[in-house]
Formats: sequence, structure tokens, C-alpha cells
Amino acid sequence: MRLVAVGLGAAAVATAVALFVPWLPTPASKQADRIDFVFWFVTVICIAIFALVVAVILYAVVRFRARPDDDSDGAPIHGHTGLEIAWTAVPAILVTAIAVVSAVALAQNDRLPKKHIRVNVTAQQFAWTFQYPASKGLTTSSLRLPLGEAVELKMQSKDVIHSFWVPQFGQKQDVVPGITTRLVITPKRLGTYPVVCTELCGEGHALMRSQAIVMKPAAFAAWVKAAQQAAAKASGGAAGGGPGLAVFNNQGCSACHTFKPAGSSATTGPDLDNLAADAQRAGQPLDAFVRESIIDPNAYIEKGYQPNIMPRTFKSLPKQQLDALVQFLTGAK
Amino acid sequence: MTSVAVGHEELHTGPGQSPRGWRRLLAPGWLRVPWMTALFFGIGLGITLLIRWVEGWPPLWDWQVITTVELAAVPFGFLAGLGGFDYWAGYAIGSPTRPDDHSGHGAHSWRDYFRVNTDHKVIGIQYLTTTIFFFVAAGLMAMIMRAELARPGMQFVGNQVFNELFSVHAALMIFLFIIPAFAGLGNFVIPLMIGAPDMAFPRLNALSFWLLPVAGLMMLSSFLVPGFGCGWTGYAPLCSTHQELGAVFFNMGVQWAGASSIMTALNFLVTIITMRAPGMTFWRLPLLVWANFTTSLLVVIATPFIAGSQFMTMFDHIMHTNFFNYEAGGYVLGYQHIFWFYSHPAVYIMMLPGFGIVSEVISTFARKPIFGYRLMALSLMAILVLGFSVWAHHMFVSGMAPWLRVPMMVTSVVIAVPTGIKVFSWLATLWEGKLNFSTPMLFALGFVSMFVIGGLSGIYLAAVPIDIHVSDTYFVVAHIHYVLFGGSLFTIFAGIYYWFPKMTGRMYNEKLGKLHFWLTFIGFNATFFPMHYLGIQGMPRRVSDYAPRFADLNFFISIASFFLGASTLVFLYNMIVSWVRGEPAPANPWRANTIEWQVSSPPPIFNFDEVPQVVGGPYEYGVPGARHAVFNGDRVVEEEEVKA
Repeated sequence: MRLVAVGLGAAAVATAVALFVPWLPTPASKQADRIDFVFWFVTVICIAIFALVVAVILYAVVRFRARPDDDSDGAPIHGHTGLEIAWTAVPAILVTAIAVVSAVALAQNDRLPKKHIRVNVTAQQFAWTFQYPASKGLTTSSLRLPLGEAVELKMQSKDVIHSFWVPQFGQKQDVVPGITTRLVITPKRLGTYPVVCTELCGEGHALMRSQAIVMKPAAFAAWVKAAQQAAAKASGGAAGGGPGLAVFNNQGCSACHTFKPAGSSATTGPDLDNLAADAQRAGQPLDAFVRESIIDPNAYIEKGYQPNIMPRTFKSLPKQQLDALVQFLTGAK
Repeated sequence: MTSVAVGHEELHTGPGQSPRGWRRLLAPGWLRVPWMTALFFGIGLGITLLIRWVEGWPPLWDWQVITTVELAAVPFGFLAGLGGFDYWAGYAIGSPTRPDDHSGHGAHSWRDYFRVNTDHKVIGIQYLTTTIFFFVAAGLMAMIMRAELARPGMQFVGNQVFNELFSVHAALMIFLFIIPAFAGLGNFVIPLMIGAPDMAFPRLNALSFWLLPVAGLMMLSSFLVPGFGCGWTGYAPLCSTHQELGAVFFNMGVQWAGASSIMTALNFLVTIITMRAPGMTFWRLPLLVWANFTTSLLVVIATPFIAGSQFMTMFDHIMHTNFFNYEAGGYVLGYQHIFWFYSHPAVYIMMLPGFGIVSEVISTFARKPIFGYRLMALSLMAILVLGFSVWAHHMFVSGMAPWLRVPMMVTSVVIAVPTGIKVFSWLATLWEGKLNFSTPMLFALGFVSMFVIGGLSGIYLAAVPIDIHVSDTYFVVAHIHYVLFGGSLFTIFAGIYYWFPKMTGRMYNEKLGKLHFWLTFIGFNATFFPMHYLGIQGMPRRVSDYAPRFADLNFFISIASFFLGASTLVFLYNMIVSWVRGEPAPANPWRANTIEWQVSSPPPIFNFDEVPQVVGGPYEYGVPGARHAVFNGDRVVEEEEVKA
């Protein structure tokens, strides 16, 4: 009886810890709902097992404690076949149940509805870029998604393994160089959520972050239109940033840098609105300074920032694009 | 330090007197080490440069290549200088050898711990002191990490240094502490437990120990020469084509530690199979021996896979092969498959010996037979077999073939069944017992409760949908520390306290031992339990910086971790002071049944003056008249009684 009481006490404590601590982030996708269901299913089973073990240990520690002068032995019990069969069979049934529930949830989370949009994700040290093939290759550095519509992410890496995770979406997938991996997400809550790289990818791993923004479908459509127009203007070289802006967005510069002409406000790297002052500190003419900083980011490190964070791959940009980017950044007409 | 006393010193002293003058440079030992190391360095350098010069490969002085070659050559010079190969080399060139030469056996002064010693008891202590050194080094790295993580933003170290800290912390804890600490305990205890005078291959045993400091220095150097910041898992391509010099030190360090591991495992297997005392059948083996038997099988089957994976990354790096180089058609995920095919069984290599220790301790301090002895042994074997079928549960989000996930989930959760059998059997062993709460027992019970939490969080990680959410987050950090710290480390502490009297001939301080347990238990839970929450909420692992909303909890964790780190000082103080001037230990302070407690503390130089005769199971507490082993004299009396 006392054992049962101790067990129920332990279960109550564990249940309180499970319920009163907000363990799971508020789910923002249908997939996260299913993950949460599996989570609670497993938790109920685990609380029962945990309570049982704790109850037996606590009860035994108190009840079977030997007195200091007691040198006698315990009861010579060698085993009990029925009990041993029971604690082999019952856990086997429980874990089978967990496996079945998990497998069903997994299959549902992997299923892609017919009506969906596709986003191509490119990861590189240490930035994300998102491309919308249905919207004439529109490219951005933060992921925007319409509410309630399934999205299939097709992900590729330019260098090492990265991993795409939005905690509120629940879904996670490594991005592996050489292969294309996929992930299905159906956003169900408006908001802005962090995109986190969870696979160690080098020195700047801790800084490889972006945003996922879930918008109302109408707002999303409006944003796509506006962004496409801006991109068209840019590549046409008519106004705004010209082709340099396109390079700036396509290469993911906006993921890390604030630059007003491009409308970006990220803070991983230095603010590019202050390039003139930075060039002065570096003791170089603006044009040469900007070009060098793109090709060899470690040549001059702005105070308060660290070397080796910015990708060193931009030296392979075609000369035309590089020139356009430098022109855009220096504000030259 | 104590010296192993009494025995056959006169019979087994070395051949002739020790050499004098310059000849001392030729005798095995620390005087021969410097010049032989230099010689092998020269040979390695010469061969490399010669080949590069003949082939005309520019540049002649490629330090990546030279370093790699030297990390293979220099240890051979060191080991040869110390005398690790003397017997075999002498045999190979036909000079007279004495198979019964015991000059390198046993310790008569502290100096004997610093040479190639063939006594398994000396080697066991060498192992444990060396591994505790690396445990402290790796623990200090964890302290620096927690200092950096106490506040968001960067305070003490840069990103790259932080990446190196957690990489080397894990590499040292796994390869230079947990795995070899169990090998050390096994080394000391197994021959005594099965009634053998030593291990089957004492010279091989000595060599496997001396590979360890070599591997350890390499892993430490991988931190000192900057570069090894790609995690202890060393994933390609970050750690192959993108690697710097430090990663080469890791590659080669794994090879030396792995070689040491394999040699010890072979030694354990042969010893356990061939050197059991008369009457010691497999069903009379103490569970610690069963556990090390299964572990050794795991080691010899699995360790070559990590050796292969590290060779392949190294070849990709210096020999322009393309095993994992995707640009040339290499298979990036292949690394992870090979790596985890070792590294998942490695989890059991780091766990099963602990199961063995806990079985010994719980049975002894509960004064009861182990509940379901045979099922306990069989569940070890079940874990061994299943352990090879679950590796890809580390790769649920890796982009591997999707169909592989559900089968791997099923095998992973099924492993909970034999593990559960073990936990329930320990609990049943406590039932109706007479529990004595000495320090080893506290650590054993602490282990059971912490390991249950680690095991249950393992169920979450095995369930694919949950794993997809929490993999590579602090939830995983919490899980592995509940398994490896609350699990393995608690059992190592239990084992060290339990056999400390046998090893040193002195008792440790019980009050300090209990204090150490409670500080560790509280500090451990305060440090690692909140990490579950951080991970589920969205904090990835292996980061030097994090979102400001995690600041308060991280600050709390850092404070708790310093508390936990400080608890280790109590342990070190207790061990050192008790070793020097603790109370002399009786032969059998715990009134245990197994054979190691039936000889003096410390045991005689060749373990047994008489061969023990095993007459029953190892845990027959409370059974009237039952005995595990008897020595010759007793045996004769018993037989006469039977006749009468």
C-alpha cells in the first residue's frame, strides 16, 4: 500500500513538472501538432515508468535500510519467472505502441498535399537563401510563407552539412552537399519565427540564423508581386539598385547585413550603410575596400565582429556580377 | 603510493644488474625515450621527404602530410624507447628470451608505475590515474564553455575556440576517460575475479596502456594546434576536406586510442575464455565479467569501423581520395553510416561495464543474490546483438534513405526491453534486502535513477517525429549527459570507491565519499535537467551564443555546473589523501563473495598463492552454507567432511 502511495506521489510530481512547465514551443504548423501528440503520448508512458522506479527505490531505501549493527543477509531470492516475463512483455508492448504511433505520425508529416508551393533552400557557410521557383525565381534571405498552404522545401548545400529547423514548425532536416533533401511544412499560425542551423557547420555556426515569416495568403501574394517588381527593375537596371541589388539578394548578403537601399536589416555582419567610414578606418579607397572585403572577407575585420564568419566563396562570382555588386554597395551611379 | 608487497621477488628479479654509464641509454626506460623518439621522427621525415622529392610533388615540405606521418611514427619511437616492444623484438632477431621473465611485473616503488609493467594490477592503476587526468582536463574545458554560455553574446572565447572546446571535451571524455576507465577497472578486477594470476597477454596489456597517453596527448594537441572544431563526431565534409591541422591530430588520436581499446578487448576475451579458475563456469561468472565479456565483443567488432572512417577522412585530406568529397562523386552520408556503426555500439561499450559494476555493488550492499542472474547475463547479450542494428537512429534528420527510419526506430525502442530487464532486476534485488548505504551503493542507486531518466529521454529520441524536432538541440546534450554522466560516470565512481581498498590497501574517507555523492548528484541534476527544456524550446547544441530568451536558464545552468565541477575536488582530495594515509584496508571490507575479496588488500604480486576452486554462484548471500570459491586448504577439509 505504502509503495503505491509513494508511486502515486512520484507520478504526481512528474505530472506536475510535465504540465506546469511549458515544455513545447507553441506549434505553428500542422506537423508540429502531430509531433506534440507523439510527445505527450510518450510522456504519459514515461511518467508511469519513472514513477514506478522512483517509488521502488525510495520505498526500498527507507524500508530495507540495514541497522548499523545488523550484519545479516537479505532474503535469498534468486528470481521469479512470472515477474521476469511480465517486465519483459509489458515494456515490449509499450514500446511497440510508441513505435506504431510514431510511424503513423511520421507518415502523415511526410505527406505532401497536391496543392502546395515549393521553395528551394540553399545553405552555405553561414547564410540561408530561399528561392521561389513558381514566382520567376524570386530569391530572398528570409523565408516567407502563406498561412495554411503546404510548402515543400527542396534543400541543397554549397559546402558542408547544415540543418534547417524552425522550432515552432517542429520539422527539421539536414542540408547535405551533393544531394537534395526535402521537408514538408504546413504553417497554421501567423508570426515570425527563427530559422536555426542545427548542424555544426564551422566557425560561424552559432550565427547562421534567418527568419520564417508566416503571412496571410493575400499579404503573401502582395509581397510576391512587389518583390518581383523590384527584382525586375533591378535586373533591368532601370532604377533602384540595378543588377547589384539582384546579386545582393540572390547571394544571401541581406541575410547578415543591414543595407538600407536593399531594405535589409540583419545584424550578423557589419552595417553596410557605414561602408564609407569603414573604408576610411581601413585606410583604403571605398571601391577597392568593398571589392577586397567581398573577395577576402578576413582582410579587414570591423571592430566588434569576428573573422571567418562571412563565406569566402564570393571570390568565384562572375566579374560582371561582382562589379555590379560593388557598384550597388558603393552607391556609384 | 603503496608498493605491492611480498611474494616471489627473489625468484623474479631482472636478468643481471642494471647497466651503467652510457649503456643506460640503451636500456629500456625514460632515458631511451628521447633519442628513440627523435630517431623515429627523423625516419618518418626522411621517408616522406625522399618520396616527395623522388616523385617531384610540390611542395616538398607539406606540413599536413609530414604531421600525419609523424603522428604515426613518433609514438612508435616513444613506445620502443620505453621498452614496449623489447621482448618481441628480441624474439624476432633470435636473441635469447625468457618466457618466465617476471622482471617487469609488479610495483615495488612509485617508479614502477612509470615504466612498461606487465602486472594487470599495476596496469589497472596506471589506466585509472591516466584517465582521471584526462577527465579533469576535459572537465575544465566544460567549465570554460559554461563560463562563455553564462550570458548571451561573446565574453571569454571566440567562436572557433568554443567549437574546439566542445569537440575536444567530448573526444577526451569518450576516448580517454569513459572507455579506458572501464578498461582500467576491468584490468584490475577481472583476473582476480576469475581466479587468474594475470591477463592472458601481459606484455600486450602493458602496450595497450602505453598507447593511451600517446592518444591523449594527441587529442589535447588537437586543441593546442588550432583547428579541430568540427565536433567529436568529425562529420565529413567539414572535418575532411575543410579540416585544419588539429583535425589530423584527432584522426590519429582515434587510431591510437582505438588500437589500445581493441588490444585490451582481445586480452579480456582470451583471459575470460581460457583462464577461469577450476569450477568457474560461465554461469558462475560475476556479472562484471559477463559485462566486460560482452563489451569486449562489441569493441573488437565495432572499433575497426571508426578506425576506417578516420582513415578515409584523413586520406581525403592528404591523399586526394574522394570517399566523402561530393564534388568528385563521394558519398557524404557514408561517413555518418560508418561512424555510427561504431559509435552507437560505443554507447554500450561505455555502458555495459557500468552495468556490471552496479550489479556487483548492489548485490553486495543489499546482501542479496542478484535477481534473475541468467536473464541479466542474457540481456547483456541481447543488447550486444541489438546494438548493431540501431546506428541510423542518430541520422533520422540526416537525409539518408527515408525507409530506413522506421525499422531503425523499432530496433531502437526494442533495446529498451533488455535495458528495462536490467533496471527492474536491480530494483528487485533491493527488495527484502539489508541495504548498507556506503559510497559505492549511493553511486549505484544514483546511477539507476539517473540512468532511468536518460533511458526514458532515449525513448523520445528513438520516436522519429520527436527526434526530428529535438535532434541536434540541447535535449540531446541533456540526454547524453544523463546516459554518460549520470550513467557511466556514476558507475565509474561506484567502481573506484568499491575497489579502492583492494587497489591501494587503504580505506577511503567515507564521509567525504558521501559528501562527494550528494554534491555530484545535486549539481548534476541542476546542470543537465534544465537542458531538456532548452532543447525542446529551440536552443541548438554546439553554439557559443544563443537567443536572449534563454539567458536566465543558461545562467542558472552555468552556476550549477561550477558547483558540479567543484564536487570533483572533493573526490580528488579523498582519493589522493586516502591513498597516502588512509586506514589500512582489511581483505574484505564489504563482506563480498567474489574472489578478489578473498585475497589480501592489495593482493599478492601473483594474485593467488593457491589456485581458488569455484564451487558456486557469485552472489549467494543469505543462502546457508553457500560459497563462491574455496582455496585448496578449505577444499580438502570440505571433502573430508563429505566423506565423514
